[in-house]
Amino acid sequence: MSSREVHDGPLVLDARGGGGGTLSLLGSELLTLFRRRRTWALLGALALIPILIAVAVRLSGGPPTGRGPAFLDQITNNGFFVGVTAILVAIPLFLPLTIGVVAGDAIAGEASHGTLRYLLIAPAGRIRLLLVKYLAAAVFCVAAPLTVVVVGTLIGWALFPIGPVTLLSGATVGIGDALLRLLAIAAYVTVSLLGMSAIGLFLSTLTTVPVGAMAATAILAVVSQIMDALPQLEWLHPWLFTHYWLGFGDLMREPVVWDSFADNAVLQAGYLVVFGALAVSRFLTKDVLS
Amino acid sequence: MRARDTGASRRLIRWIPAIAAPIAIGVGVVLVPMQANAAVDLPDLTPAELLEFAASSEVEALSGTIEQRSELGIPDLSGLTGTMGGGSTGGSGDLGQGDGDGGGGDAAASATDLDDLISLATGTHTAKVYLDGSNARLQVLDRLAERNVYLSEEGAWIYDSAEKAATHLTVDQAALDALEAEAQAHADEAREQLEAELGAPLPTPEQVLDEALAKLDQTTDVSVGTDGRVAGREVYELVLEPRDAETLIGEITVAIDGDTGVALAASVTARGADEPAFSVEFTDVSFEAPDASVFAFTPPEGTEVSEHVVPIPTAAELEQRKAQAEAESGGETPRPVVHGDGWSAVVELPAAAVGAAGFDGEAAAMLGSLTERVDGGRILSTSLVTVLITDDGRVLAGAVTADRLLDAAATGR
Repeated sequence: MSSREVHDGPLVLDARGGGGGTLSLLGSELLTLFRRRRTWALLGALALIPILIAVAVRLSGGPPTGRGPAFLDQITNNGFFVGVTAILVAIPLFLPLTIGVVAGDAIAGEASHGTLRYLLIAPAGRIRLLLVKYLAAAVFCVAAPLTVVVVGTLIGWALFPIGPVTLLSGATVGIGDALLRLLAIAAYVTVSLLGMSAIGLFLSTLTTVPVGAMAATAILAVVSQIMDALPQLEWLHPWLFTHYWLGFGDLMREPVVWDSFADNAVLQAGYLVVFGALAVSRFLTKDVLS
Repeated sequence: MRARDTGASRRLIRWIPAIAAPIAIGVGVVLVPMQANAAVDLPDLTPAELLEFAASSEVEALSGTIEQRSELGIPDLSGLTGTMGGGSTGGSGDLGQGDGDGGGGDAAASATDLDDLISLATGTHTAKVYLDGSNARLQVLDRLAERNVYLSEEGAWIYDSAEKAATHLTVDQAALDALEAEAQAHADEAREQLEAELGAPLPTPEQVLDEALAKLDQTTDVSVGTDGRVAGREVYELVLEPRDAETLIGEITVAIDGDTGVALAASVTARGADEPAFSVEFTDVSFEAPDASVFAFTPPEGTEVSEHVVPIPTAAELEQRKAQAEAESGGETPRPVVHGDGWSAVVELPAAAVGAAGFDGEAAAMLGSLTERVDGGRILSTSLVTVLITDDGRVLAGAVTADRLLDAAATGR
């Protein structure tokens, strides 16, 4: 990767400094992450989703009621729904793909650059390095859905009228309330992606080929969604990390139904504990040769 | 050697968290429900006492979440029906080939209705219920969609977010009150007359209940099962077991809250099955009055609103209709026939009654894929109910086996 100089520079120095502790390590890791051109390319691709949707609907005039993804037919009446539709479109594939890239790269990327050794010479400690890498991936999990809803709202505001929003229950709320709900949806999606990040981090400790870990993480997300659609595997559904991904619709009800938010958080925490522990064990016993 | 040993055991120690985490979660998943079900011991009641307790329940307000599950053994067609465009797709039987797209609007409507029915009979549904005095709301939570029913004294609203359609049902309150008053007066009159004839007051509700239970006992074993927990509350379990060996129904259970007497869960289990074929239960419930805003509904902009006024006839009109119906029944109108009695009763709809409302187009195609061809007709068999559509157009249904239906169709008994 072209950004190698940027990549290993500040992180190694700060890690050697040691005194600043986990926070400064995290700071430099975030700086590295968001200085990379790849990260901006990923966020840019996500931002394109609402833009494409809004422009397409603007040009073609929108689908008849009940066709296309949910909420798409409401965009012409209210630009607010651009963000909601974009999140809905991005969840099955695009968001997991970007998370897969960031989480899968975490350890394997350093290993493939030959920088992992230097990171571990520093007194940072392996567990702390894992923690920092996970937290950086989590920050990306916040940034990715936020990009989609913010760009979606802006483009929706630019191209369509914006006004009071009709919720799924048929109740109508003001645009301020609706935007708060949109932020809650972004938070829901962030929580949804945390378990997957832990899986990506674990896969990343298994290999020195980052592309392998990235692809495996993204594929797992797709496989999990396919299994979630098979009625024969119904007993397994509540255990799949993708099971509640589309449950964010519950935030568009009146009164808001928080059950799926809570269930989702518990499920993702479970994945975080299991795969976090696996990653720690694997990383502590790993022979770091590069 | 020694250094190597400690190295290996150190490695092993480092794998402990990876092994411990799933075990801890597994233990938690098993233990928490066990803890929840442990040690429920409500004062013992006989079935009659339990029914009386439930009947005296005075809950005015509640809100909660209901989960409905069906495992009737019908194939899940939800994926299939969504993609079925016209009327000519997938007709796998002679039913579907009747008339390709002759139905038009009616066919589409009946296909949607059938679709709704099938979606209720398969899979899991979650709904919220709110109740406060005369206000009530049922909120069916679909994925990224919602169906609502609002009930209040002013009428009822039905709202479907996927269709963006609202239906407003209203009744003429004055007419309803008048009808009620008249009915009450009639009932009082009849009661006085009866009491005068018997020379004694009418039996108390308890006596009526005892009598009904005694009658029920001939066909059904009624008992109180083990106390359990539903939605975190201690409940009694009322168990009904048919004595008739011919029926498909194994047992029906109703969970009754030990504190308030409200029914919190109900399930129907097929004979020989472990898991209920159909169940409804509260997953959480609160008996506090929900916020008034929950019951408010005004159709949002851009919604198709259809208004219906439910006509309330006066008592005189009712009498007239009754007389009319009696006069007609002497003539040609076919009526459903019931073969047998109790749990294994079979209902037969004569051909003419079904004919007009028969299925065509898409509905027929769907029906064709649900049913199974047998000698003399088509059978739809689920774990609780079997339906036979004979080749001559009669429809027989009952909670019995296919053989019993075929037998009833052939012999008329």
